[in-house]
Amino acid sequence: MQFLDFEIAHLEPYEFLSPSNGEVLIKAQFSCISPGTERAVLCGLPGARRDFPYAPGYAVAGRLLAAGKGVGNLKVGDRVAGRMPHADLATVSARHLFKIPHQVTDQEACFIELGIICLQGIRKAGIQPGDVVAVVGQGLIGQLANRLAKMLGAARVVAIAPSHNREKTALLPGGADEFLAFNDDDVSLADVQADIVIEAVGSPDANLTALECAKDKGRVVLLGSTRGLTRNINLAELVQRRELTIVGAHINAMPEHDAGPQRWTYWQEGRLFLDLLANQRLSVADLITWQAAPTECNAVYENLAQGGRGQVGVVFDWRDSNTSKSAA
Amino acid sequence: MDTLRIGVVGAGAIAQRNARDTVASGVATIAGVFDINHKAARDMAHDLSAPFFSSYEDMLKSEAVDAVLLSVPHHLHRSMTVQAAEAGKHVLVEKPIANTLSEAEEMIKACNANGVKMTVNYSFRYLPKILKAKQLIEDGALGEITGFQTCIQQYKNRGYWSGASSNSPDNWRASKAKCGGGFLIMTACHNVDYLYYITGLKGTRVYSEYATLGSPAEVEDIISISYRMGERAVGSFSASSIMRGMEQKEERIWGTNGSLLIHPEGLEMYSTRPIDGKRPGKVHKFKKFPNVSWTAEWVKGFVNAVRSDTMPPVSYVDAWENLAFITTAYQSMEERRALTVPEFISTQLESVA
Repeated sequence: MQFLDFEIAHLEPYEFLSPSNGEVLIKAQFSCISPGTERAVLCGLPGARRDFPYAPGYAVAGRLLAAGKGVGNLKVGDRVAGRMPHADLATVSARHLFKIPHQVTDQEACFIELGIICLQGIRKAGIQPGDVVAVVGQGLIGQLANRLAKMLGAARVVAIAPSHNREKTALLPGGADEFLAFNDDDVSLADVQADIVIEAVGSPDANLTALECAKDKGRVVLLGSTRGLTRNINLAELVQRRELTIVGAHINAMPEHDAGPQRWTYWQEGRLFLDLLANQRLSVADLITWQAAPTECNAVYENLAQGGRGQVGVVFDWRDSNTSKSAA
Repeated sequence: MDTLRIGVVGAGAIAQRNARDTVASGVATIAGVFDINHKAARDMAHDLSAPFFSSYEDMLKSEAVDAVLLSVPHHLHRSMTVQAAEAGKHVLVEKPIANTLSEAEEMIKACNANGVKMTVNYSFRYLPKILKAKQLIEDGALGEITGFQTCIQQYKNRGYWSGASSNSPDNWRASKAKCGGGFLIMTACHNVDYLYYITGLKGTRVYSEYATLGSPAEVEDIISISYRMGERAVGSFSASSIMRGMEQKEERIWGTNGSLLIHPEGLEMYSTRPIDGKRPGKVHKFKKFPNVSWTAEWVKGFVNAVRSDTMPPVSYVDAWENLAFITTAYQSMEERRALTVPEFISTQLESVA
């Protein structure tokens, strides 16, 4: 799958290499769109300029078809999840692959990278039992954050978005308790008074919205990959008078080895995510709003470029696909 | 199935081509020829092995005639259509439907009152490249249509205006009263028709500038129109018959997801979507089209509508709306302001006892 240009995605035939040391060849079953990152590249948002053609995607569940040397305990036939682009077949580093527990489906496991992003952010939020948690932004990351916050003992999770367009999945069991659409409803964000606010949009405006929702002495976690500069922040008001704590929580700042109580490694978070799915403490399958054929990618990304209206979890089903072999 | 027996009215150059293509359609036969120029009509009847009629009234009385094909000056469309309808004959009439909307409405009422079908020769919409353009747009190549540009320039020489180059010489094309207008109503009306046809949009507001700057005529030989199509799309239309030595025939339609170029060699399409099996994000050319007679296709569509008692593919509504755009464009310059294009209101025309 390639972004040919701004706002144009297309399924293209391609070639791949057999795995060398430390690499494996994966046949994808499902891949999950990371809406923020992929939309940013597709639309050329600030800080996300890439050269085209660009191969998007980094969250896949698949089968291991072939392995090079030095890939640890991975072997041919294993069900694995991890970093790989949206493609039928790909040769990738074995380092960031997880074996999928048998209780977990491929549809669920392909959320792996999104799960890791959310877990590391939620960990930094330090949610205490009884906290009111506001989640600003109700895309896929926001809705995963709703569920993790609820699981960690939040008394009330308030989902906050401009419109009601993603309300249905947000309020499913295990998700948010309340949905506020600040452009449609007559609400004051200052009334939210959250102990913890998770910003899960990645826009300068959403950062300001998140700060508004926090109560004094509250904690605001910036989980979205903010594109552009947030202006008009009054630090004296926010940090000194209101005593807000602002926490950065981007996946790129995750440690590889040096873990601590509020700082787990990529590997630890990935294992935890799959365990939560295996133990049925977390569900993600019900967040899938569009299970698309790879041949539909143009329409899928057209929707995403326009803001992903009505969609939350969008996955590609690669089970019947063999684009790498055809030369359409 | 029996063929539709068509009486050909008019024996000028266009009439001759229409008659040939009518025969080629395979669904109609020529039941006779009439023209006030009896010599031209006799010659044509002889060539077509069809009877010659010395008057229009005689042709309409004939039981061997099911329909008439009127290729006559515009100002005759109304009276000859009404006469045919009252004689129970179906009507195929050259474009435009008439010179004014009230004339057109009289024709439509007469056809409806007498239970006969009418169509107008907007056969360019049957050009294979136009059909292809329609299909690409319907498949979503352009997304929401936002813009139009039409550039139609050519040179009409003195023989065209005087009729000297015709087999039935007449200078009616230069007359405002007979022709209703110049290059727009005479020629570029086709372009208006198929823009409506392929996009499904209709002109809603127009403003025009026109003039007669290089022709021995009362009617315009150059016109520029700014217009709104539907609620949102904006278009510009530039047409003239005084561009010497360089022809131009180019139309562009574009939208939120792509662009389409129509020119004499075919089509060019750019789309952000994979349309017609083509890779998105690049310009694709469509050059090879089947060589079909678009007039024969038009006749086929009409005959089918007569047989099945349905509205002909080029309906009187289409023809009225086309004329509404054209006459409103003319009127806008006379009034020096942009005007709303009137909408067709069927109840006014169909509630005839």
